[in-house]
Amino acid sequence: MPIHIFIALLTFFMLMSASIAQATLKLPETVKVDPAALTAEPMCDPKISPAWREAQEIDGVKIDASPGCSPDNPAWIAAAVKGTNNISMDTLMKTGLSPDAIIKTDDLDGDGDPDRIIIKLEIMELNGKSPDFPGLVPTFDIAPGIQPGAWVFAPKTSGMSTENFESVRANPLLRLPSPVIRVEVGDIVQIVLENTHYFPHSIHLHGVDHPFSHGEHGGQDGVPQTSEVELMPGERRIYQFQARQPGTMFYHCHVQTHTHLAMGLAGMIVIEENKPKNWLQTLNIGAGHVRHSSVAVREQFDQEYDLHYHAMDKELSSIIQKHNDPRLIARDMNQRYDITDSTEDYFTLNGLSFPYTLRESLIIVELDQKIKLRLLNSGGELIAVHTHGHHATITHYDGVEHNPVAQIMRDVFDIAPAQRIDLKLETVNDGKHSYGEGDWLIHDHREKGITTNGMAEGGSMSSIVYTSYLGEHGMPKVSHFGIELNKYFTKEYYERRLPVWQDLDAWASLGSPAGDIGVDAATQTSLLNALYGLLAGLLIYLIFAKREQIKQCAVAAVSRLKSPKGSNQ
Amino acid sequence: MAKTTTITFLLAGLLAFSAHAIAQQQTKPSEHDHHDHSGHDMSQKNTTPTDHSHDHDGHTMDHSGDHDLSAEHPIDHSAHTASTQSAEHGDAHHHHHMDHDHIMDHEGTMIMGQNLDKLPSSCKSISEEVEITVRAGRKYAAKFPGTAFAFDQQQWHVKPCSKVTWHFINEDNIRHQFMMHGLPKYLYKYGMFHLEVTGPKTVSGTIIVPGSDDTFLVHCDISHHMEKGMKAQLVVGKGAENIPSIPGVTPYNINDTYEAENLPKISDKAEQSAMVRQITAFTNNNFQNYGMMLIGFLIGLLCIPLFKKIPLRKKDG
Repeated sequence: MPIHIFIALLTFFMLMSASIAQATLKLPETVKVDPAALTAEPMCDPKISPAWREAQEIDGVKIDASPGCSPDNPAWIAAAVKGTNNISMDTLMKTGLSPDAIIKTDDLDGDGDPDRIIIKLEIMELNGKSPDFPGLVPTFDIAPGIQPGAWVFAPKTSGMSTENFESVRANPLLRLPSPVIRVEVGDIVQIVLENTHYFPHSIHLHGVDHPFSHGEHGGQDGVPQTSEVELMPGERRIYQFQARQPGTMFYHCHVQTHTHLAMGLAGMIVIEENKPKNWLQTLNIGAGHVRHSSVAVREQFDQEYDLHYHAMDKELSSIIQKHNDPRLIARDMNQRYDITDSTEDYFTLNGLSFPYTLRESLIIVELDQKIKLRLLNSGGELIAVHTHGHHATITHYDGVEHNPVAQIMRDVFDIAPAQRIDLKLETVNDGKHSYGEGDWLIHDHREKGITTNGMAEGGSMSSIVYTSYLGEHGMPKVSHFGIELNKYFTKEYYERRLPVWQDLDAWASLGSPAGDIGVDAATQTSLLNALYGLLAGLLIYLIFAKREQIKQCAVAAVSRLKSPKGSNQ
Repeated sequence: MAKTTTITFLLAGLLAFSAHAIAQQQTKPSEHDHHDHSGHDMSQKNTTPTDHSHDHDGHTMDHSGDHDLSAEHPIDHSAHTASTQSAEHGDAHHHHHMDHDHIMDHEGTMIMGQNLDKLPSSCKSISEEVEITVRAGRKYAAKFPGTAFAFDQQQWHVKPCSKVTWHFINEDNIRHQFMMHGLPKYLYKYGMFHLEVTGPKTVSGTIIVPGSDDTFLVHCDISHHMEKGMKAQLVVGKGAENIPSIPGVTPYNINDTYEAENLPKISDKAEQSAMVRQITAFTNNNFQNYGMMLIGFLIGLLCIPLFKKIPLRKKDG
């Protein structure tokens, strides 16, 4: 009997050593991922009309050119400047906004612009769980295949939350980040929060001159522990203020702030100086390039950009993808999620991560321009934004102008959570302000800030691009350096399934090696099956050879059972 | 003081409402004037006389529909006007959009895909005319734990070929929708009939349902309103397959997992006195210990015969 087992073991070891011998002779082959196997997206979404990029005038509203790949819908800008109550029905229908989303009336100071501004905001969920099918709805990708659960303040819309009935993709008005709000010093502003979400929320106007309490509308600070009760689902609250000071400020939900802010309920609010005929772009949906700047900004600058930096924790954002029952979501967020054990995984600029930042958050410049950049950090940690090729001047901290004589130039800008800084970027090629034309990176220099869930290149990285380096469809022109950005526009890249350097040379010297012992999974299983077959065969042979002995044993056992107690001997 | 202001605003609201109603009762040309005045681009169909006569029927009906909206629910409407006037800056700018199947007012109240007179091919005539009132709001979700928004009813039954006028009453202070899908596309754009209104306010619209048994999805498409309970179905005749995840009617396709939680109970509180806790702990423990001991003793007793037999057999062998 032991002889047979010995033979079996010997066979097994021979097989093993044969395969190992083969492996040591030559290391595994490189397996190159075929580009055809990837879910490739076009670098610039072809759905966007190139006409949107041009300078134009809609309903008397002058809109600057915005040569990037995905500029804002010009109808949005017209509606934001004139108010949804003052634009043509034709323009309104192109926006998807509710007719009462932005109401502008009454020139109270007689300076040729409206001074009563009503802005209606709803709260929308993105990438949440559906009880009907295994996917998420409505979807919003911050990078290819990356869909973190999020909540946003959204301008009041009309109609569906998705693109159409067949699609699960969110209506373009429902997106990260919450829109940038612009009003003038002295405007009587009402921000009307219509809580369309299933959780209680509020608005806190961080840095904006607002009364703690308003005679008619009650508490105005948005804090459930000091000024007001939570605004329940289905309810509406008016936040009214008349700001006396200009500056780049911040608004966010102050209910369970440690989770609601990170979920996306945070946006930039800019109080502009009061100037005559100052028709402001009340909402900058998706932040980024301001295509209708205020009078004060136009006096001093050639261009203006709103740059909203944000960070999200995967663990937190996935809670709304785990449960549909609001009670379970509330439990997991309020009682089980522990922010002190959390880490941020997604870093976004204007709601998107690289490479999508290239589509709509490029800072597109020419030589000898002055550009105003407004930066907000709504993430949970300090960020350190570095401008390649440029030193910019910090003009304002938290909306307050820094003493002009003491203003400093830097190339790394540290921004604490909730902090805002205004920068003056001068594209003067003097080796200090700018080193000349190029496609210069602008990124968070905490290195995790250039990753998406730890996968580089991702995060809030974008570029300062001179128009001479701007290529087709408003994307940076990099191919003349032999650079291929296509791999970033695949979800497999961010799923960590694509070797980052496989295409750097013809034979993929840094590609992926095949299985570790020279035998792939399929061969391994077939070898194992052969081994099982061999063992089974041996067993049968054993039974056959010893059949007489087995028969005797069986007979003996049966007789022992049959015979009376104690007489088996 | 507060009372008088409220009354003033109510009166103002009523006045505004009646003026609005009068304006709507006026003949078509003046309606056009009204719109042209407000400076909004009207579609060609509204301004060219030939097209106008062509569309006349539909438009008159549209207006009566629009009028019904306020006339049948004057209290809702005036209350709303009053609240907007008192709470928000007045928006005197009335702003109406309409074409064949899309009517919208300055507050975003919307009727889309309305069908007052076009018979579905499967119908010879209208079988009956019914009016159904649908209420929407957070409070209707109270009877369905684990939801946030709901309609007051989760299904409605109508006969094939019936003409149904829906009065959609939104009782919340936010937007809600009554959106129906799957209707025949030759009559309804995208197969949809859609009412939308910011509450508290009512909007009405009419459809003619097809002649065959069928079941249609009704929901609110605002992000996660359907997922969180605002979902229902319209059953025509005997109906077709049920639609999943309608609160109280059909089960969810995908269910959450629930587990019992360690929530504080009053019985925990009763034990707060240290003395009481010690005593109860003592007695509880003792009871448990003695009980287990007793059980063990009984098992032992029962096993005695077995134990006796085993050594006996060995000795025999």
